[in-house]
Amino acid sequence: MRCGDFRQSYAEDMSLFESPLPRVLLAGLLVFLLVLPGFASTYWLDVLSRIFIAIIAATGLNVVTGYTGLISLGTAAFLAVGGFATAAMAGKAGLPFVVVIPLSGLLTALVGLVFGIPSLRLKGLYLAVATLAAHYIVEFIVTHWDAMTGGVNGISVPPAHFAGLALSDDRSMYYLILPVMVGLLFFTKNLFRTKVGKAFVAIRDQDISAEVMGVDVFRYKLLSFAVSSFIIGVAGSLLAYQARLISPENFPITLAIDYLGMVIIGGLGSILGSIFGAIFITLLPEMLRLATDALGSYWPSLMVIVAPIKTGVFGLVVVLFLIFEPDGMAARWNHIKAYWKLYPFSY
Amino acid sequence: MNVQKSLAGILAAALAALVPSWASAQQEIKVGGIFDLTGVTSDVGKPFAQGVQDCVAVTNDAGGIGGKKIKLLGADYGYKIDQARALYKKFVNDDKVVMIQGWGTGDTEALKDFVGQDKIPYFSGSFAAPLSDPSKFPYNFFVAPTYSEQLRSWLDWVKQDYGKGGGKGKAKVAFMFGDNAYGKAPLAAGRKYAAEIGVDVVDEAVLPPNFQDATSQLLTMKQKGVEYAYINVTTTGVSLVLRDAKKLGLTVKFGSNPYGFSESLVAVAGPLAEGVTGVVPHVPFGTPVPGMKMLEAAHQKYHPTDKHDAMYVRGWASCLVWTEGLRGADKAGQMNGPGVKAAVEKLADFSTGGLSQSVTYTPADHRPTMTTSIYQIQNGKLVKIGDYIMPRTKEWFGL
Repeated sequence: MRCGDFRQSYAEDMSLFESPLPRVLLAGLLVFLLVLPGFASTYWLDVLSRIFIAIIAATGLNVVTGYTGLISLGTAAFLAVGGFATAAMAGKAGLPFVVVIPLSGLLTALVGLVFGIPSLRLKGLYLAVATLAAHYIVEFIVTHWDAMTGGVNGISVPPAHFAGLALSDDRSMYYLILPVMVGLLFFTKNLFRTKVGKAFVAIRDQDISAEVMGVDVFRYKLLSFAVSSFIIGVAGSLLAYQARLISPENFPITLAIDYLGMVIIGGLGSILGSIFGAIFITLLPEMLRLATDALGSYWPSLMVIVAPIKTGVFGLVVVLFLIFEPDGMAARWNHIKAYWKLYPFSY
Repeated sequence: MNVQKSLAGILAAALAALVPSWASAQQEIKVGGIFDLTGVTSDVGKPFAQGVQDCVAVTNDAGGIGGKKIKLLGADYGYKIDQARALYKKFVNDDKVVMIQGWGTGDTEALKDFVGQDKIPYFSGSFAAPLSDPSKFPYNFFVAPTYSEQLRSWLDWVKQDYGKGGGKGKAKVAFMFGDNAYGKAPLAAGRKYAAEIGVDVVDEAVLPPNFQDATSQLLTMKQKGVEYAYINVTTTGVSLVLRDAKKLGLTVKFGSNPYGFSESLVAVAGPLAEGVTGVVPHVPFGTPVPGMKMLEAAHQKYHPTDKHDAMYVRGWASCLVWTEGLRGADKAGQMNGPGVKAAVEKLADFSTGGLSQSVTYTPADHRPTMTTSIYQIQNGKLVKIGDYIMPRTKEWFGL
């Protein structure tokens, strides 16, 4: 058992894995996720697919909010841009998904660039309000541009096709979403080992110091918005392929707040945090629903009373997390890891 | 928070969810229920869900469907589309339900393609006209005149009332609606019909979601000299419009769609609701019709202290129609999606005991009824002022 850090070179310090064990565990997890559809029910595959999409979007939000320190309430809007771009390109133009998904991301990145411009002059709450405005602008456009988005009635998205096969059921969607998620997670993890990622972190920690050190703050803030929006746009595209019919009602402002909740509960500035947060926030309503449904089916007339408790419990759990683990689930995870790393000599 | 403890909590919840499946009997008919108990339409969604539940309980107490009990797997989706889709997948793939009682325009629109593919009859609380066209949506049903017929009928009333009041020229009408699929559903039909019968639509005002103030919209209406306004939002919204209209001293005669008009409106808006007209496809609770006896018995038996309204009756009426469908499917030995659809499509002039108009479905036409009742609030009571019968024309089909 290892009992400390023995890093001897810069390369070793930058390595993704501290020891071979996590590498093996991660590979094991991947294999597990790959074979899971063999025995999971379609309902749970649907839940997993939604978790994966949430992980992608939460990671995107974490790039701009957690790593660059720019609060964004535009997540739902960017998801909508990605989703409706996919509906237009796949539905109207009939392009294949290998083109549609990256293009939807790029288009969202462009929109993100535009809405990132206020970040030059605005910080903190003021920027949050500016991105809130972005949300409402996008919402208005998708609600009223009937020819392109189908307006309030929404628009159908044809299933993705792969080698002549329609990816219309939950199992094939799962296999479409999983590799995209893994790819984007590796991309983001590596982003923060490069100059660009370090510039983001420098801006978050102290934007004036970053500028003094030679970081072009405006350029990197915009770049952060673009990268973040690209990732969220890809999530929106996958969401559209999974939902098959999207309308403006799929992207309410509460969705953006849910995503902020994910990165805060999971851990700001941490890929692992995005993953934990997305799993937690997506699973919590499912679990609470299963529990309240169970109570409800024992006493059917109670369902009407029990269901609203779900909303209250959701709020309570979030508040408890903020009080007892303000650094997020990722920090707790690291504590647990540190404890076992030095076990039984933890001191 | 302690991670282990929270995990234990989640596990306990998951275990609790598994328990009822042990208790379930073999001989039962599974029906899914997608309700809004916590979302933006929960003000009307809750009594609707309660009505459906009570109807199922009463049906089961009376012996169920050919000796089989109905198991209603009802759940709340909080008017969130992704939650509705998740529930739908659970109901169809895991629980293998034969049909679903759904709720609003949001979930119904998001699922309308799926229910056709999966052959799952979907009864909605949304009465949007396109859903009544089986050539497009063969598995969608509802128990009321379409939103479009409702607005047409109300416009007929406007024309009558304007003539009676000695009005000259054309009545000036405004539509007030939410910027969503439900709010906008009858507008195109309303505009067209108004032009046909000679009523002037002079203003269309958008009410934002969860709005708290309608002053600016009402001021615009005042400037344009609006005399009649149709409010197409739910009860809470209607009462806010009435409040602000009173504040501004407007003399507009307001009318409402069936989700904004019931006993609850009187309870919430009080004297402000006086004189307001509304579409009532399902009678107020306590109306002396034969079918009401069952509801009153259920009320006494399950929750004698609760207050009920027309939304509760609406849940009942919908459930009575599909339980009849289940009976038909059971007799034919076809207890599955297509079987229930076929049985419902055989219903001709089926009476819900006066809870709603009698309903008729055919494989080519899912418009349940062409008769719309208009009520008015007089001295705090909902009083029927007329039935408006629209022709079952081809050109209005699905519009």
